[in-house]
Amino acid sequence: MLQALLISNGLQGLEKYYVSNELVRYTICLITKDFNPDLTPYDLLVVPNGSDHVAMLKIKDKVRAFLDEGKALVCCDGFFTAWVPGNQWLMDNSRRTLDVRYLPGPDRHGLLQNIDLDQLNFSHGMSGWWSCGYIQAAPGAEVLLADTWQRAIVVLDEVSTNGRMLLTASGPLADVTYSGKADSALVALYRNFIHLLSTSTVPAHG
Amino acid sequence: MAKIGLIFNGVWSHYAMATAPKYRDLYELLYVHDLTAAAVADLDALAIPFQSNQAVLTEKKDIIYDFLAAGKKVFLEGDSSTAWLDAQWEDRPVNNYWWVTDPTKPPVSDTNYDHPVYQGLTPRQACWHTHGVYTRVPEAAEILQTNAGGDVITWQTQQYGGTLLATTLDPIVEHGVQQITHLDNYVDRLTEWLSGVRPTPDRMTIDAAAYGEGALV
Repeated sequence: MLQALLISNGLQGLEKYYVSNELVRYTICLITKDFNPDLTPYDLLVVPNGSDHVAMLKIKDKVRAFLDEGKALVCCDGFFTAWVPGNQWLMDNSRRTLDVRYLPGPDRHGLLQNIDLDQLNFSHGMSGWWSCGYIQAAPGAEVLLADTWQRAIVVLDEVSTNGRMLLTASGPLADVTYSGKADSALVALYRNFIHLLSTSTVPAHG
Repeated sequence: MAKIGLIFNGVWSHYAMATAPKYRDLYELLYVHDLTAAAVADLDALAIPFQSNQAVLTEKKDIIYDFLAAGKKVFLEGDSSTAWLDAQWEDRPVNNYWWVTDPTKPPVSDTNYDHPVYQGLTPRQACWHTHGVYTRVPEAAEILQTNAGGDVITWQTQQYGGTLLATTLDPIVEHGVQQITHLDNYVDRLTEWLSGVRPTPDRMTIDAAAYGEGALV
């Protein structure tokens, strides 16, 4: 079972979106003024939507060392500070949300399996509801989803560190069960990454 | 010189709005963990956005109430905690789609358009969605917006000295997110009410230099 540290800046209801299950046990780390968590017991660091990127910048060297040990990071948020190794999220509002569509890229680990992209493209018929801005991806990282303007929206980075990073351009992901219903795209993408971490015998650098 | 302190939980949407060229001279990001009375002393107003850290706000509530006691303004959006606010916020499902599924039933049914923040707004500009409701507000509070069930969405009170305006709308967060394109109308009026300065009327833009290594934190 993966041990995951879920970073929390005290948002109301956050714990409902990351529920421990047969693959992952979540421990919540509440950000304080002296934020400096011990990452060593964990396999996975989860930085969810709405996180504190001032706090994350304070531990950027620790995150880098964690990843260089072959561990994993999920950041599904707008990482506006420079704490994610090799990659940077940028906000942008120069394109019409009406025109946003997501296009799959190379996906050698099958992280897009069982995902209905139309769930990300449209919600109640509206487009542009999921991601915001885009990621300047590290050279060599896999762009799993690009937007209408070929900008990276979902990135799997196995090259910047010895570990693995799944990054989204601020689009939320979740680890919840909908009582027997099929997983939504937001859950399926996250769980495909968890499945990769749980079953992979190949280190990130192959 | 900044006039409004935006109490900052490190969240990207707060950052995007406060560092946007049309607002950045009026708003100062005040990282919640570093919030002190000295940091707010020279400001005219405080803004507490949705997705704030209610536990830390509770620890620092004296700063907020001392600020109000000095006759200044505080704007609070989204959720809140009874641990620091004499009002009961309750969560409700967010309806982002009412204007598609049933435009005749918006999440707010009654608005006091005489309030300076709401003057001149259309109903669509005055409510996009809500994050919960208030089922109890301070006795002396003035109700500014309600939903069809009579729950309170927006209220204000002067009982603490200055003016506390609270709403379950989330104009600061959603304006930072930029998926709702009419929010300059609300946020510009809010900014003027808080600071006395009306931002330029053009649409909010983003300064890419404020991201990454150039982040203003």
